[in-house]
Amino acid sequence: MSRARSRKKIEVRLSEERKLEMIRRPIITEKTTLMGEHNQVAFQVPLDATKPEIKAAVEGVFSVKVKAVNTLIAKGKTKRFRGRPGRRADIKKAMVTLEEGHSIDVTTGI
Amino acid sequence: MQVTETLAEGLKREYKVVISAADIDEKVGARLEKLKDEVRIPGFRPGKVPTSLVKKRFGQAVLGEVLQNALQDSSKQALDERGLRPAAQPDVEVVSFEEGKDLEYDLKLEILPEIEPIAFEEIELERVVVEPTDEQVQEGLDRLAQQQRSTKPLEEERPAASGDVLVVDFKGTVDGEAFPGMEAEDHHLELGSNSFVAGFEEQLVGKNKGDDVEVRVTFPEAYGNEKLAGKEAVFQVQVKDVLQAVPAAIDDELAKSLGQESLDELKERLRESLSNEYQQASRSLIKRKLLDALAERASFPAPEKLVDMEFGGIWQRIEEDRKADRLDEEDKGKDEETLKREYRAIAERRVRLGLLLAEVGRQEAIEVSQEELQQALIGEMRRYPGQEQALFEFYQKNPAALANLRGPLLEEKVVDHILEKAKVSERTTDRDGLMAELEAIDSAPEVPSQASSEAAAPAPESAPESAPESDAVAPADEAAAAKTDAGADEDSGKGA
Repeated sequence: MSRARSRKKIEVRLSEERKLEMIRRPIITEKTTLMGEHNQVAFQVPLDATKPEIKAAVEGVFSVKVKAVNTLIAKGKTKRFRGRPGRRADIKKAMVTLEEGHSIDVTTGI
Repeated sequence: MQVTETLAEGLKREYKVVISAADIDEKVGARLEKLKDEVRIPGFRPGKVPTSLVKKRFGQAVLGEVLQNALQDSSKQALDERGLRPAAQPDVEVVSFEEGKDLEYDLKLEILPEIEPIAFEEIELERVVVEPTDEQVQEGLDRLAQQQRSTKPLEEERPAASGDVLVVDFKGTVDGEAFPGMEAEDHHLELGSNSFVAGFEEQLVGKNKGDDVEVRVTFPEAYGNEKLAGKEAVFQVQVKDVLQAVPAAIDDELAKSLGQESLDELKERLRESLSNEYQQASRSLIKRKLLDALAERASFPAPEKLVDMEFGGIWQRIEEDRKADRLDEEDKGKDEETLKREYRAIAERRVRLGLLLAEVGRQEAIEVSQEELQQALIGEMRRYPGQEQALFEFYQKNPAALANLRGPLLEEKVVDHILEKAKVSERTTDRDGLMAELEAIDSAPEVPSQASSEAAAPAPESAPESAPESDAVAPADEAAAAKTDAGADEDSGKGA
């Protein structure tokens, strides 16, 4: 079986509400500012968000075309508070590459 | 920057100032560039924040700041170019401004009037000289002796009279309840000294040694202790002894107890202090006359804004007095219009005199030296014993307050200066004559007496002398000067 089998296009339909929930906040750091040069923007998204969902959400909310979505889950640090171990929440980040000619100004909000 | 004059009428000036958008942008840009290296935004190392982000975050604030500065600088520059001296802080009214467009504003101000030099040589004044007489010294001695009196037991028993000192035990209750401070043993109470609640001492008059008395008094409504105010109290008083108050004999002994070598020296001291008192009274008298004379000669227009400020202060007091029903008899009958007109005239006079004195001070380069200021500060501190440190810090932190202190000093010096130049004749009179003249001038129609008590002078909105707009100091000094002008007669009253 060849590895190069054609991937099935997944159609995602999201309610308007879900779209807005999808994008928690933009991530604005030195690193993401640099990414801006490659027409990429970064968002924090729910842990259970899938790439197709994120794509649909970004396209819907900002009216842009998305070329690709990369995600990662940054595990929360283990911290101690009054000697008791605790854990910070995990964070899912999505790096969204936009199609040529599209842009999002992440600093202004929606 | 473009400045066009739109109004020049009397003391009023109005200008339209336009600052180009490019100028403002440039300033904002420079400011942001500087800010860039300082701001800390999460996600960025200091100094690595992109300019666009800094602009977005702080652009508005910086713009506001830049505008503020631009307004201040340009109005100052506009005034400097024309050599104008504003009487008060100029009014600035922004006509239009939008980001990327020119800033346009109206500058409204009143300038200080041109003050014609007054020929002080032509002012004729009379200095009243009063030498203390022997009787007055004797009066002073008697008073001292009265204060230094001692007590001794009665030679033969008699009922207590006013002026006697009673040794009493007392215990007081209000509604059957005892309060702290209402009980004492072997208390020396002087009848007629009014050191106790009204009525207490009177009820002890005529009592004998060994008497037990029940004294009923009602605390006044305005008594310090709220629980007791307005309440009726019953005191069980036991008169243990009746003592006679004996004035100290006027001799060297008395002088020594007051820290002097001999009686003659004490007399000399008394004479000196009396003479000082009279000199001060005489000085405030001649000062008032001088100010009157100056007011007559000063014909320049007074800047309306300063008059408004001064009048506002006076009027506020009047309103308060009216509410508290403390208005002067002669003012009660007048309607509001008349009152306002009268007090406005007073305000104008004060402003004019203040300006005049300040101007004279400026022309003659009269300045208050650091030492003099120090002296005044120390004098001020003496008035609040125990709080010297706090007061000192207050003055250090508030240059405006210090300027307030400087005002009266400058005024005194200027007055001295003018007095030196003016024709001053001397006339000897006695104490009563001096007092009568002081009173006569107090009730002069131009300045009703209650206005002469220290009115709230307009708060000096000035900066300290070291601040860039040193012109603004002048109004502050004037305000203070005007204040003491009025305060002078009050002082003289005390001196008497």
